[in-house]
Parts: sequence; structure tokens; C-alpha cells
Amino acid sequence: MLEPVKTLGTRAERKRLLDVQGVKVAYGAIAALKGVSLSVGEGEVVALIGANGAGKTSTLRAVSGMLKPVGGSITLRGQDITGHKAHTLVPKGMAHAPEGRGIFPNLTVEENLKLGAFLRHDTDGIEADAEKSFTFFPVLKERRKQMAGTLSGGEQQMLAISRALMSRPQLLLLDEPSLGLAPQVTQTIFRILREVNAQGVSILLVEQNAHLALGLCHWAYVLETGEVVMNGTGAELLQSDDIRKAYLGE
Amino acid sequence: MYGFLQHVINGLAAGTIYALVALGYTMVYGVLKLINFAHGDVMMVGVYVGYAVAFLLGRDSLGSTGSVLLIFAASMAACALLGFLIERFAYRPLREKPRLTALITAIGISFALSYGFQLDAQVNVRGTQVTLLPGAAARAFPEIITPVEWLNIGDGEVVIWNRQVISFLIAIGLMVGLQYLVFRTRFGRAMRAVSFDHRVAALLGIPVDRVIAMTFMLGSSLAAAAGLLYAIKDTSVQPLMGLYVGLKAFVAAVIGGIGHVPGALVGALALGLCEEFVVGYTNSSWRDAVAFGFLIVVLLLRPEGLFGRVQAEKV
Amino acid sequence: MRSLGAVVAVLSLAFWGCEKKAAPAPAPTKAPEVAAAPAESDTILIGEVGSLTGSEAAFGISTKNGIALAVEEANAAGGVKGKKLEVRVYDDQSKPEEAANATTRLITQDKVKVVLGEVASSNSLAMAPIAQEKKVPMITPSSTNPKVTEVGDYIFRVCFIDPFQGFVMAKYARDELKFGKVAILKDVKSAYSVGLAEVFERKFTEMGGKIVATESYSKGDSDFRAQLTALKKQKAEGIYVPGYYNDVGIIARQAKELGVKAVMMGGDGWDSDKLFELGGAAVEGAFVSNHYSAEDPSPVVQNFITKYKAKFGSVPDSLAALGYDSAQVAIEAMKRAPDLSGPALRDAIAQTKDFQGVAGKISLDDKRNAVKPAVVLKVKDGKFAYVATVNP
Repeated sequence: MLEPVKTLGTRAERKRLLDVQGVKVAYGAIAALKGVSLSVGEGEVVALIGANGAGKTSTLRAVSGMLKPVGGSITLRGQDITGHKAHTLVPKGMAHAPEGRGIFPNLTVEENLKLGAFLRHDTDGIEADAEKSFTFFPVLKERRKQMAGTLSGGEQQMLAISRALMSRPQLLLLDEPSLGLAPQVTQTIFRILREVNAQGVSILLVEQNAHLALGLCHWAYVLETGEVVMNGTGAELLQSDDIRKAYLGE
Repeated sequence: MYGFLQHVINGLAAGTIYALVALGYTMVYGVLKLINFAHGDVMMVGVYVGYAVAFLLGRDSLGSTGSVLLIFAASMAACALLGFLIERFAYRPLREKPRLTALITAIGISFALSYGFQLDAQVNVRGTQVTLLPGAAARAFPEIITPVEWLNIGDGEVVIWNRQVISFLIAIGLMVGLQYLVFRTRFGRAMRAVSFDHRVAALLGIPVDRVIAMTFMLGSSLAAAAGLLYAIKDTSVQPLMGLYVGLKAFVAAVIGGIGHVPGALVGALALGLCEEFVVGYTNSSWRDAVAFGFLIVVLLLRPEGLFGRVQAEKV
Repeated sequence: MRSLGAVVAVLSLAFWGCEKKAAPAPAPTKAPEVAAAPAESDTILIGEVGSLTGSEAAFGISTKNGIALAVEEANAAGGVKGKKLEVRVYDDQSKPEEAANATTRLITQDKVKVVLGEVASSNSLAMAPIAQEKKVPMITPSSTNPKVTEVGDYIFRVCFIDPFQGFVMAKYARDELKFGKVAILKDVKSAYSVGLAEVFERKFTEMGGKIVATESYSKGDSDFRAQLTALKKQKAEGIYVPGYYNDVGIIARQAKELGVKAVMMGGDGWDSDKLFELGGAAVEGAFVSNHYSAEDPSPVVQNFITKYKAKFGSVPDSLAALGYDSAQVAIEAMKRAPDLSGPALRDAIAQTKDFQGVAGKISLDDKRNAVKPAVVLKVKDGKFAYVATVNP
């Protein structure tokens, strides 16, 4: 019944970090995900690409516990986390920078960062990680006492990523980090993401800009109306005619 | 002149009580964006708990510092529990529903408490009558703080009592404490995060349910403390006291800018003084009309209240 | 705010609806002796509506005891027209709408011959039009508002009316206490309080005294300091507070706290032991007008007190005395009436003249009001002490 998912290229052998099997999500009677399966290996950057409404954001939300799946299973390092509440997944090593950045505009930059480390009690470590964010994004240091609502879009995205990293996650879920940003800013952010990944953090990235996403990722899934229709290495997918036509506008 | 001074003292004393109730109102609103109409009635329950503890202690042991602390502790603990139960079983299931649903539930709880406490219910436990529900009649609230004249100008022309000073200092202290809690502590940061977007707060590992429950418990125990000071001031307790004071405290909180802690204090003191002058210099029938008129004028000139900030509605 | 108000209004309506469903017709509280009474056809039913719960419960219970005592005595003396009497009591929870419901039920369902009640004038005013329309006589033991008997020719009372209490206190304050300057603090939400204050002011001014200030409050307030501070400035010798005990107790306390030294004066609304609980030492030295005093040495009063004490174990207050008188007037009229139809009983009650009640000698005037003396009492050691009797 199901068409076999088309696979391009070979995936490097890695230890599984996240495993999503046949996950279904529905908003009322409308099915958003019709059985999505994907995995993220340790140290891997995985991209989810697809058109608007394909189910990219729903997939992230199901993984991070914002949405309760109606079917399927999700495991993190072999441990079942299907339907677990969002706040219980943070201590298990997951961080989710949600769609629209989700920063608290009425709190200062510093307070936003501290909230990212809500479950940590190692004051020195928190301080060190905040400093690390400031080396990634020096502009945040200048604005640390400012209300987060006064930041520009790019600065808010930097804050959202930095805040997510404050919990020292093994798996970082990112939803559209490039949305509405100038190309230069986007480049900065993707450079930092590469660096974050190089330090051992796995990333599950949802991105509208397929070009950017495929350039960064080790492996990518293509979503269409709530289903995975294709997967492969970034480089292979970039070469694929289907992808070029559908998502790269060529 | 003496009369004016006494009016100012009376007004500040009344405003202090409004302030204490309004602080809890504003705090719960700040986190949940829910107007907890049952807040005043939780306060009333706290007063009855204090009354019961004072009654059990007996007249002779009242007046000592230990007894006062015990009465406050028992009443605040009981209200924290009541607040927890109300939040857990009435508000939490409605959190994702439209705000109006929760508001109507709050009004329902308010009526259930204030009218439920008008019932008379007693049980006989091995020969002793134990009152479960107090009935409608007003009761004299015992003097748990021995009244002492703190200041007496011109042979009784202007009198300030110790409890007025104590209440005022407690109100200021609690305001400062709350302000510190909200803006300087980890829990306060979590409260503000939950207030803005509880879904995003959960993504950061903040236990949203627990933060909300704690906020309710804190607000309810504040209400208990306010209620006891109110009962000490006006020496009586009756089941409808919460409806009335709750409404006034709500007005005070809105005048100050709901969700804004120092605003609630300023709004409450302004309301207390305004009412006192209206009654003292015109006619008592004007009091509520002027109080609500004051509210309307403030809202017309500054829809966000005196200190409130305009906040973009979140999507 | 307006929509919020509407929500509250709708909810309170919904709540009333629920409450009526949740609390069905209060079970008739029958006097204990009724259990032994003979079958329905051999008894004459007397209806009673009273505040057995709610804010004025203390009033209703005393009245009920007084009525029960009078009926018990009448039954012991052979009843009326060879039949035993039975009282059917309904609780109105101190609410006018419940009082009206109870009256309808007594008349249409239980077919009582006469209705006794209520204490509070606002409740009696809700009952009177129903009794009048169904042509069943109603006697209120202690509603003193003039409007009650103005409803119609089936409505009577065995107490004096409000103006008379204001008259008595004004006269006493001017003649005996020699006050020149008096202030008034009245409950603007209560017809009773406003009525007493009005007559007091007229009489006191007429007698050469001066009303230096008039302040008001609303039933249920708990902070009266603004009014008292305003009154204090006027240096009055006395303050007339014709309110109910639950407010008066708190008023007295706050007056003392503010250093108000004027003597407080009031009416029968003060009459409850709760006054001393709420007011404590602050009500000491105050004067009130009332219907009767337990200290009145007359044999009628002392005899009544002995019997009441034996049955209920407490000293009867004036509401018990008036309840007793109302039942007695009804029973005497039943004996005199040719039959127990509404019009016949009405005429018999209207002819009551010089009937020796516990609370004074009762004659009903052409407005169906009792013309009788009042007593003045003074609060002394947490009790009302008899001071004087003032005749009309």
C-alpha cells in the first residue's frame, strides 16, 4: 500500500539518538501527520524540508512533547518518550527552539538565558554557558540588560538558539531559524549551528530554505502532506531533479 | 482639621485591606490572565479558619505573639490548600478553554463558597457539637491582637491603633516581597515566563502546572492574611464579606493596572481614601457609585490602569 | 465592566434557580405537641412564617417559641370550638421572596385559618398582599413599619408602629436625658431604620432639640468609621442609631475606637444577645426603646417568663413575647368569631380591645395597628435593664 520511500545516497552509520516510528498527529478531525518515521543519530544534523503545511512543525512538536501523538512511538536513546510532557523531556537532553522563536519579550536577554537553564543549579556552569553564547553572538552581550522584546528579528533568533543551548541538550530541535532574516544574519546563524554540532550536539532542523538546510545537514527527510516521501544525504538531494524543481525553485 | 486627619487615617486603613486582597488578585491574574473571582471568598474562608483556631485556643490565650502566629499560619495554610484544590479541580481542566469559561467557573466558585458558608451544619462528635458550616449570621471576631492606641492627638480627636500600623506595614512589606519574588528570583522568572506563554515555558523545562499551583497557593494564603487583618479591623466575620471586599480589591487592582504589584497597592489606597472622603463629606449612598465612577474615569483616561503597560496580545 | 456585570447578574439568577431546586420546600417544622394532635379535621391550623435560618434567624426562633407556648396553653384549656390548634411553620430564610412563597403554600395548600408572621417588615410586606388577596387574616407579631397594615383590612399587628418608637426615644432623650444636640446614623437600605429616624428627628426638633448631623450606612457594611468621624466633629450628646443588632454592635465598637463619647440610642432592632457579643463593652450605657422588658414587675409578664423558662430554658426576649401575644389575639378572636371563615375572623380580630398581652395592653385602632405603651431599656453589664415605660 505504502510506496517505498525513495532513498538517495548512503547514510553514515551512527548510534541512534532519536527514533520516530509511524507517528500520527491530528488537530481535531484533521490529520497533520499520517505516520512519520525518522531518526537522528548522535552528532548528526538532520533536516526536515517540505512545503508549508507538510507537517514539519507538527513533527517537531510531537517530538518535544508540545503535541500528543495519536499513534506511533518516539524513543530517545532507546527510552520511550511518546506523549511525555514537554517539561519532562528537557532533563532528558532535549531542547526545542519553537516556531516564531518563543522568546519572552517582557524579560531581559539575561533572564531569557537564565530561564533556558531553569533546571540547572550549577551557577558557575550557567555563567560559563551564557558567556559561550556571548562569544557565539557578541551582540547579545551588549544587550544583556535589555528587554528581549526590543531586539531585532535576527537577535531574537540568536537569543532563542542560545537559550535552547543553555540546558546543555544532546538534541536541539530548531524550527525555521532563517525565517524573516536578512541573508547575512542567516549565514551567521548557520555558521554557529555548524559549530554547535561540531561540539557534539545533534540537531533536528526544520527549514523552509531547503538550500541552506541541505547544505548543513548530514541527512534530510522530505515531507509532503504529513508523510515522508524521500530521504537522503544533503548533497544527493541537492542534485535531485524533483527536489530542485519542488523546493529550490529551479 | 482633626476630622480630616482622622478621615485620612481611616481611608488608609481601609485601603490597606483592599491592597492586601488586591495583591493576590493581581498576582494570579499576572500569571494566568484569569480574574479569580473566588479570591475574596477564599479570604472569607481563611477568616473563618482563623476564627475557629482562635475559638479552640480559648479567650485566655489570645493576644500573645505565639497565638497570633499560630492563627495566621493555620489560616494561611488552610487557604493555600483551598487554593490548590480550586486550581487543580476547577481551573486546570479549563486552561485550554476560552477565558470566559474559567471566568464563569470562578464566579460559580465564589457564589458556592459565600452561600455555602451561610448554611448551618453541625455534627455531633461524642457529645460535642462541632460546627461544619457557620451559618449566615455575623459573628464577633475575637481580639487576636490586643488593641493598643498607638497615637492619640487632642484627647481622642485623632486616634491611630496599633493594628492599623501593623496592617499597613504588612501590606508594604508584602508588596516589596512580592516584587522581589517576581523580579529577582528563579520562581518569579518562571512565573513571568508561564504568564507570557506557558507552552514555551514548558519547552524550557519549567513545570507549568506546579508554577501555577504554587502561584494559587501563594495568592490564597495572602488572601487569608488579608482577611484576618480585615476581620481584626472590623471585628466581625460573615460569609458575604468576601464578595464585597473581593469586588473592591478587584477594582483597586484594575485601577492600578491589573498584574502590576505596586499598582495594586496604590490603586487600593486611592480607592480606600476616595471612599472614606465620599462617605465622610457627602453621603454613604454615594460611596459605591463614586468608587466605580473612579474606576471608569481611570479606564477612560488610561485603559491599562495607572501603572499597567500596554502589552501586545499574544497569538 | 458592563458585560462583566451582566455575567454576574445572569449567574446570580442561575444560582437562585439552582438553589430553589437544590433546597426544596423546607419541611414544616411542627411544634412537638402536634404529633399527638388528633386527625386533620379535628384541628384548626394556624400558619406561621418565620426566619428560622438566615441573617435574622434569632428573631424567628424566639417568635416561634412564643407562638408555640400560646398554642400549647390554649390546647390545654380545651382548644377553640372543641377543636385542637396546630401550628404549621415554614422557614423563609430571612428572604422576602421565600416569605411570599411560604404564605402562598400555607393558604392554598395547608388551608390555614390565620397567618402569623413575620418579624422583619420587608418580609411581612411580601406576605401581606397574598393574605389580603386570599382573604385570610394575617397578624404580624413585630413588624413595626406602618406600610404593613396599610396593605388591606386583613392585615393586623400586635406591636406599635415605627413612628411610635421614634417618638418614645425622642421624648425620653429630651425629657429625661435632657439632650440638646443629637446626631442620627441610619441604615438607608432599611425602611424600618429610615422610618424611626424620620419620626425621631421630627419629635426631637419639635421638643426644642437640635439634630446636628445625619449620616447613613447600608446593611452589611462593616466599616462605619467615615460616618462616625463625621459625626464626632459635631460634638453631639447622643447618637440615635435605629438599626439592627448586627450592624449596631460593630458601629458601637468602632465609635468607641474613634473616641466618640456620645450616648447611643436605638430601637427594638437592637434586641438580641448577639448585640453584646458583637458590641462588647462598647454598647454599655446605651438606651433603646422596646416592646417589653423581662424585668417589668407586672404579674402578666412574670407569669409568662416562668412558663417560657420552664419550656425553653431561657428568658424570653420581646419577640417571644410578641409572638405569644399575636397567637393569643388570634386565638381569642377565633373564640369570639361566629365561624372561622376569613371575613368573620377578620372582624373578630378587628374588635380586639384592651386585651392584656405580655407586651402591654393591646387595642387595635381603625388602621389595624396596636395602640400600646413602650418601655425604655438601658444596657448595663451586658444586659438590657428596665428604665421606664412611655405611654402613647
